[in-house]
Amino acid sequence: MKRIFACWLLLLCARAYTQDAPTLKATVSMAPAPVVTITQGKAAPVPLSFRVARGYHINSNKPKSEFLIPTALKIGATTDIVIGRITYPEGHDMSFAFAPDEKLNVYTGDFRVDVLVRPLLSVQSGKYMVRGNLKYQACDNAACYPPKQLPVSFQVRIAKAPRTGGKNPAQSPHAHR
Amino acid sequence: MKRNPLILVFVAAIVAAMLFAGIHAARKNRAGGPGPVSGELRGQVAPDFDLQSLEGKNVKLSDFRGKAVLLNFWATWCGPCKIEMPWFVELQQEYGPQGFQIVGVAMDDASNEDIAKFTKQMGVNYPILLGKEAVGQSYGGVNVLPTTFFVDRDGKLVAREFGLHSRSVFVDHIKQSLGQGQAVQAQK
Repeated sequence: MKRIFACWLLLLCARAYTQDAPTLKATVSMAPAPVVTITQGKAAPVPLSFRVARGYHINSNKPKSEFLIPTALKIGATTDIVIGRITYPEGHDMSFAFAPDEKLNVYTGDFRVDVLVRPLLSVQSGKYMVRGNLKYQACDNAACYPPKQLPVSFQVRIAKAPRTGGKNPAQSPHAHR
Repeated sequence: MKRNPLILVFVAAIVAAMLFAGIHAARKNRAGGPGPVSGELRGQVAPDFDLQSLEGKNVKLSDFRGKAVLLNFWATWCGPCKIEMPWFVELQQEYGPQGFQIVGVAMDDASNEDIAKFTKQMGVNYPILLGKEAVGQSYGGVNVLPTTFFVDRDGKLVAREFGLHSRSVFVDHIKQSLGQGQAVQAQK
């Protein structure tokens, strides 16, 4: 057993020594989203919190060059839950060592994207999972990494709309007197 | 069974040294230090490829045999790549007459028109080929841009750089690939 462990350790060391091609690990992560309660037929924003790993930046949703890849959230199609406007934060104008004279509009650290969710009146009350992807393209101070898709998911709790039947004053018998 | 403590110390020292070297090498790459190709690649014949140029011609790396080649993997969305390009334009002019050729490989999802527009804006004076994942894989995987390989006149790999570096690093590698200079760093 000890010999196997020693061999494994040596292999690990050898790998660390020869592995010199950098690769992008998890640059952007998503915090667990709160379960937002939304009434049937009403719209409410769902805040999604993301974090860009230290030392990296990603383009904002509105980068300053047509060639740069914007950060964009795409939510999968849902039948009775309408996904409305997605609100992105403004990026920070920053310059980097590789382009000191050029300002890039980027996200670093924590940023929040709000997704407007509106369940139709026909949706049954209960919890629903919504899924999507955050597309981003990360760079550090000296290199860039190919675009990536971060799977995104959040739950919404659909509450019944309050009953209004029979209470409409316009249809009250008193209104026609 | 009694074990000689000296052997244990020796083994521990070797493991520690290898770990240190591994971590040091990884940090150096992250920092973007000069990086001759690893022992696995250096001296090996650069993998040949057949890629289409922006003009629609099929271009092979072996077409440039006899010339020193700087093979630059880049993309339109890569900021550091944009910084290198003007240097490459100058270096092509400066060293081209000595048998040096820069070849750009666009690892891009952008349309050919957009890539052409970008390279025109940058005044690129060397061939741009439309990259394929398989070609990147044949070079050990192009996971970061820019990634630049230096190939000597015999078609053998002499150096590789990940990320942006100073212009002088490129000049050193170009001289090396032309057979004019010493290896920038005798790492291995």
